[in-house]
Amino acid sequence: MLKSAALDPPTVTGASRLRRHAANVNLDDGAGQLRRAARYGLIWWRRVRAFIARDFSQALSYRMDFLMRMLQVVIIVTALFFISYVFSGRVTTNDKQWENPFAAWIMGFAMMSYFSCGFSSLSNAIRTEQMQGTLENVLMTPIKVPTMIVASSAWEFIQATFFALFYLFLGWFFFGVRFQGNLFLASLFLILTALVLHCVGILSASFTLVFKRGDPFGAILATGSFLFSGVLFPTQALDSAVFTGISCVLPTTYGVDGIRRVLIEGQTFSQVRLPFIMLLIFLIGLLPLSLVVFDGALRRAKREGSLIQY
Amino acid sequence: MSATAITVSNTAFDVVALPGAEAETTSIVSVDRLTKSFPIPFRRIRQAIQRKCLQSVEALRDVSFDIREGEIFGIIGPNGAGKTTLTKIISTLVQPTSGSVVVNGYNSVRQESAVRVQIGLASAEERSFYWRLTVKKNLMFFARLYGMSDRDAERRITELLDTFGLEEYRHRRFGELSTGNKQRVAVARALIGDPPVLLLDEPTRSLDPMAAASLRAVLRSLVEQNPPVSVLLTSHNLSEVEELCPRVAILSRGQIRALDTPKNLRALDTRTERLHLVTRGITAEHAQLLLSHMVGGLGVVQERSELLITFTREEKDDTLDAVVRLLHESGASLLGFESERTTLLQVLESYEQERQRQERSESRC
Repeated sequence: MLKSAALDPPTVTGASRLRRHAANVNLDDGAGQLRRAARYGLIWWRRVRAFIARDFSQALSYRMDFLMRMLQVVIIVTALFFISYVFSGRVTTNDKQWENPFAAWIMGFAMMSYFSCGFSSLSNAIRTEQMQGTLENVLMTPIKVPTMIVASSAWEFIQATFFALFYLFLGWFFFGVRFQGNLFLASLFLILTALVLHCVGILSASFTLVFKRGDPFGAILATGSFLFSGVLFPTQALDSAVFTGISCVLPTTYGVDGIRRVLIEGQTFSQVRLPFIMLLIFLIGLLPLSLVVFDGALRRAKREGSLIQY
Repeated sequence: MSATAITVSNTAFDVVALPGAEAETTSIVSVDRLTKSFPIPFRRIRQAIQRKCLQSVEALRDVSFDIREGEIFGIIGPNGAGKTTLTKIISTLVQPTSGSVVVNGYNSVRQESAVRVQIGLASAEERSFYWRLTVKKNLMFFARLYGMSDRDAERRITELLDTFGLEEYRHRRFGELSTGNKQRVAVARALIGDPPVLLLDEPTRSLDPMAAASLRAVLRSLVEQNPPVSVLLTSHNLSEVEELCPRVAILSRGQIRALDTPKNLRALDTRTERLHLVTRGITAEHAQLLLSHMVGGLGVVQERSELLITFTREEKDDTLDAVVRLLHESGASLLGFESERTTLLQVLESYEQERQRQERSESRC
């Protein structure tokens, strides 16, 4: 039964404090600006954490899914180890990365699981919210689009980091793969590539917002990356100029190459600056474009009233 | 638009003007000449493929009204009238084609985020929660999106669960709740950010009568608290709207056909009322003979020792007085009396009939 008695005096909640705070802060006051920035930073973090906590709770409710994904990684790594036996001693390559194909493969697979999260996580999150019917309610809150973009994929990235590390751990612990080089530099490559791919993911999500299904960005990038970015075989093996051209326009090519060079060959920053610069160029070009496109797609969905449709 | 202005967009029906007795109050939501046409996606391509002209769907046309601070403003209308579209435009989920919505001074298109802080929306849509999460986790998620700290959120959730009688379901998965309880959680969620404006789209649709009455009591207490919450209530439950809303708009085919107090809206439909008298000490034939020339729509029914007399009169004329005096002079005694007034349902029906007549005449043209 609902209480029919009058409600207690309204509690001062975060939202109402925010309203009052916004009205009271003097923008000309430097300290006020700083306090305001700190407060917004805190609120931003709370929102991102809300998504992570929600997705973690949902993942916990599907425990078997997580266990099956771990099992899948174990099977893939084991299979790659035995397949690499077939090539052992039969492959001659000038590429130092591929002298041990097993190490190159697990590195490639680990990175791909991370990168595919970059270009599919936001699109998947939007599609799931559409299917659940919660997208409108999330957009009803004062969350801003860039925050939603980051927050929606945060848990996916945490999971992808776990699985990428799990690939590498299995290779190191059970199959004797040795990694060397600067871990910080490798992480920098990883983050940079993930950011670039996240921009593609934002384009993907924009497509999902408007067309609901049949996203071409994710599909092309996922397939293209596996085939042409050196995950399964060296890019030098691509004889055709067309294939080489495709390989050059895929950001994953530079990401996988850079991380392998750092972790397998032990190269330094000066040796890997070319793929690093290429990734930066991709990021500078794609980030503003993807945000503008996503904003446009959201407005279009609002114009058409199709936010909740799937 | 001034705070007290009541704008009624009306083309087919008489314009309803509220008596000027309304006090000066602050308007918290101003909807001004709002029009919404849903565009057909990829219209040109579709037209080329289907080889026919495709028209965009007009959901709202020139809708204007104000909601005052601390008011429960009702909107009634048949299915497809545009109630949900209107609610979604106010809550920034759908962009208007033209016109404007201003909530607490913020424009819904230019200052979306600011408007969203001012508004809580509860629809009858069950599919708007995470079904595998508990009630608390669902509410906690939305509380955090409003920027609340965990402590504030926890306190607010406890308060709301207590208010809506949901405390025992705190740790129950949302998917396991009954439809009525899901509805209550939806209203609780709408209030989580402590918004000054609450949009309720058929909030009692799935509630049993007791729970619906309790929710109405909660709504009343919300508008009475300080500062008050203003409520936009769309409903099919007309008695509920009559009970809660000092002003009601009738929305039909995307237009506001009338906006007034429920009392005036009823009067708008007809100024006659049906009266039922229960008498004793007079025969049916005698009553028929006495009254047939005096009143219209006379009905006389003998029920055991009592005689039921029914007739129609113009509101506030002296027919009733004359009938009672005549019956008394004839030796009859009056045992009971009942007046049957027009309900909002009848008003709505009359607008619907008018709409259908219009459609028929348009199709003939």
